[in-house]
Amino acid sequence: MSLWTRVCSWTRSTVRPTRMERDMDEEMRFHIEAHASELMKRGITREKALRQARMEFGGVETTKAECRDAVGVSFLETLLQDVRHSVRAMLRTPVFTLTAIIVLALGIGATTAIFSVVDAVLLRPLAYRDSGRLVTILMYGDGPVSAGNYIDWRDQSRSFTTMSAAEYWSPNLTGIDSPEHIPGLKVTQDLFPMLGIKPLLGRLFLEGEDKKGADREVILSHRLWQRRFSSDPSVLGKPIALDGDAYVIVGVMPQGFQFAPFWATKAELWVPGAFGSRVHSSGGSLRIFARLKDAVSLAQARAEIASITARLEQQFPGTNRNVVVTPLKEKVVGTIETPLLVLLGAVAFVLLITCANVAHMLLARAATRQKEIAVRAALGARRGRIIRQFLTESILLGGVGGALGLLLAGLGTRALIALSPANIPRVQTVSIDINAAVFLFTATILTSVGFGLVPALQASSVNVNDTLKEGGRGGSEGVQRNRLRSMLVVSEFALALMLLIGAGLMIRTFAALEAVDPGFNPHNVISMIVSVAGSKEQAAGRREFFYRQLIDRVRSLPGVQAAGAINHLPLAGDLWGWHFAIEGRPKPGPGEVPGAVYRMVTPGYFGTMRLPLIRGRDITDSDNAIAPGVVIINEQAARQYWPGEDPIGQRVSFDDNERNPPTWLTIIGIAKDAKQDNWTDKATPEMYLAAFQNHDFLGDSSAEAASHMSYITLVARTVGDPAAVTSEMKEAAWSFDRNLAISQVVTMDGVVAEANAQPRFEMMLLSIFAAVALLLAAVGIYGVISYSASRRTHEIGVRMSLGATRADVLLLVARQGVWLAVAGSAAGLAGALLLSRLMAGLLYGVKPTDPLTFAAVAGGLGVVAMMACYIPARRAMWIDPMAALRYE
Amino acid sequence: MGKQLDLLQGTLDMLILKAISLSPLHGYGILLRIQQISKERLEIQQGSLYPALYRLEHHGWITSEWGESDNNRRARYYRMTAAGKRRLQAETERWNEMTAVIAGILQASPEEL
Repeated sequence: MSLWTRVCSWTRSTVRPTRMERDMDEEMRFHIEAHASELMKRGITREKALRQARMEFGGVETTKAECRDAVGVSFLETLLQDVRHSVRAMLRTPVFTLTAIIVLALGIGATTAIFSVVDAVLLRPLAYRDSGRLVTILMYGDGPVSAGNYIDWRDQSRSFTTMSAAEYWSPNLTGIDSPEHIPGLKVTQDLFPMLGIKPLLGRLFLEGEDKKGADREVILSHRLWQRRFSSDPSVLGKPIALDGDAYVIVGVMPQGFQFAPFWATKAELWVPGAFGSRVHSSGGSLRIFARLKDAVSLAQARAEIASITARLEQQFPGTNRNVVVTPLKEKVVGTIETPLLVLLGAVAFVLLITCANVAHMLLARAATRQKEIAVRAALGARRGRIIRQFLTESILLGGVGGALGLLLAGLGTRALIALSPANIPRVQTVSIDINAAVFLFTATILTSVGFGLVPALQASSVNVNDTLKEGGRGGSEGVQRNRLRSMLVVSEFALALMLLIGAGLMIRTFAALEAVDPGFNPHNVISMIVSVAGSKEQAAGRREFFYRQLIDRVRSLPGVQAAGAINHLPLAGDLWGWHFAIEGRPKPGPGEVPGAVYRMVTPGYFGTMRLPLIRGRDITDSDNAIAPGVVIINEQAARQYWPGEDPIGQRVSFDDNERNPPTWLTIIGIAKDAKQDNWTDKATPEMYLAAFQNHDFLGDSSAEAASHMSYITLVARTVGDPAAVTSEMKEAAWSFDRNLAISQVVTMDGVVAEANAQPRFEMMLLSIFAAVALLLAAVGIYGVISYSASRRTHEIGVRMSLGATRADVLLLVARQGVWLAVAGSAAGLAGALLLSRLMAGLLYGVKPTDPLTFAAVAGGLGVVAMMACYIPARRAMWIDPMAALRYE
Repeated sequence: MGKQLDLLQGTLDMLILKAISLSPLHGYGILLRIQQISKERLEIQQGSLYPALYRLEHHGWITSEWGESDNNRRARYYRMTAAGKRRLQAETERWNEMTAVIAGILQASPEEL
């Protein structure tokens, strides 16, 4: 038989099944009638003849079904039948259907949403050419590198095709309506070719443009181009003013391009960087990016850098230590990997619980449908057909649940992006993409088949005779099925318990974080960065006057209690550290030079922040440029560098070049330790210099320093809502000069919240998942207990008529549930002991095996289990024995 | 009417092909033709004819079209195709061979066993 006839036949039967049905009907009617008229010739009445003809023909419906099978109609036709049947079955039990669909949609939606995030952040390669070969070279794997080191590494190494450098640079875009502080990078010319990126418009930097004096080109990000230049293609060649200097726009990057992938993730413009200085130091401002040669392994490159830096360290003691080569991807996703994987694991648990729950909902229902199945089997339905019917039902459930889940995943992903802490890399690229869709589909199918198969197999092996004989009460509620359902409930409980412990540990972590004292009082404080770059206040002689006037004006605003300024806001701003010398102490050896984070503050800063001075005095207006230099140190500096001594009155110097004579700063006070960079970091030595005594701050030391430090961070303490004075503060600044760029307007409460955004995010998600899991597990145990109680109605009736008390009945029913809960909790506790250490990196102030959390969660879950058992047990308790006995 | 024989498994297809090898017939006609040739000695479950017809048509051994019956009613007529003709021939040969072998065995004398 040719393929063609087969296809034709199949098409006929599939495309026009109604025509085939009509034909069959007509043909068989004709047969029966023809036979009947033949019989009538023997002299019997038409009625009798027809009846006999029909009997001799046999079952019309069975014949038709066999005909359909013969042509192989089957697939679509039976599928349609199955679907129709399934929809009817589902509509008959709307509560079950709705519950199952919601449960599935939640499970699948949550899994997909989290998976989308994990996919975008962790799984997808970085959007650069052959990004697996890109590495970054940093001090301690984290800190910046000096230009001298960079040049030596680049010139001496053989492992890399290219080694580029980038430096953070955030200029003011001035000269157009509203000045703006724009994050950007200075990069070496070879960086973009190394990344394999082509510009959308214009060109990349040319060779030689990263030399001093030629570095006046700028490439814009797609967003900046859209936002500030209304996507105008003629911007190429146009000049713009950055920090008051003229730059020419030479290119626009494609949409979605991001560099750097970590640290300066928000860069919106790039200019050539001339990093020519050969100064070697332990500090610096460059981040190094390099591409491994094809034949070179990461280990070889690391070995080479280690030998180069060891050589350089001998040459320049105190530098080139702890240089780490890290694959770029690892650097980007490093800190977020664990939390995301923990979340993914958690959500997988939720999906498992979901499946278990729906599976035993289906099991319970399959049990109540045994009679229906037996009837169908008796009417000739084959085992495969019944299994198919069940599978169709569960795949339909899975399909509808999956579709809803996709919808939820869309919403959930958007919510995750909105809620996620700003420091998650690449989160802006999260979308429900093809990967996520494939995942969703697989999850749906696996879930459906998984929970559809077990009840289907069980139901189809029903013994027709037994079931029908038992008058429909389905006697085959065997040990096996019970064991399966119990196992499902036990695993649900175990999974829920593990999730709850995870959530509990995060809640305790978060509570511990909230309890951390930042050292200052963050409530009712607002801050903003005011930059003078590109304005007339930039001039060296004007800055001090302008800053003082501005702070005074802000302080006099209605609703403002106190105001001051600092160079970098703690927790939110940059962190500058430097080494210093202590007067009267011998010159320390390499590696023993004391160092501290240093900040520059104006009078009023400590009061505004309510950062208490433990001893000594505050910086005042009279600590000016002509007065002797002063400094306030924190408690940690006092403990570390003046143990057992009184630091007040001692003098330190931050002078780098051993200038003669050094500028000594007298320690006038000790401030409480305050948070600096990370919320959970231990206090490190910190020093507060008087801003108005500092030449860099005032912009009158050198041109480079003047552009480096051309801003202050204003802080103001308000009476009421700090955000309410934002516009007045901005206006106060702009009343001096419209060209002042104002950026990073934040409340201190917001800064603190941001510092804890990641643990809060993790806690929130884990808690949601745990709550869903708890609910599902409770529903599960309730379902099993009430189902088995209802099936034991007869037994209970017998027991009661034989003298069992209501308490006995309560115990009888509840005991089963308690056992399930105990077994589940035991398994869950064991699992949690094993798994919770995986989230050790997420925890703060609490051990992964925190006994309090474990006990509280196990206890709480026990109570929930009791309640879930109590309802059906109570119902069983009030069974009327007479009614129960009549019931069967 | 003599004793009726149950149809051997798988032989119905052959009988149908044979029945329509001379002229196209409708389903009931095929039944009558087989009964007539077999002198009513074969018992055919009437309904079972149709799955067989649909199967044969599906394989392309017969085709069907609607036509008028003797008493002017619409009836579906089955006709043999070239493939069906070859099929009938092959099946007949196979059948003859098999019956010969089986008959040979059944007629074997005690010495031959």
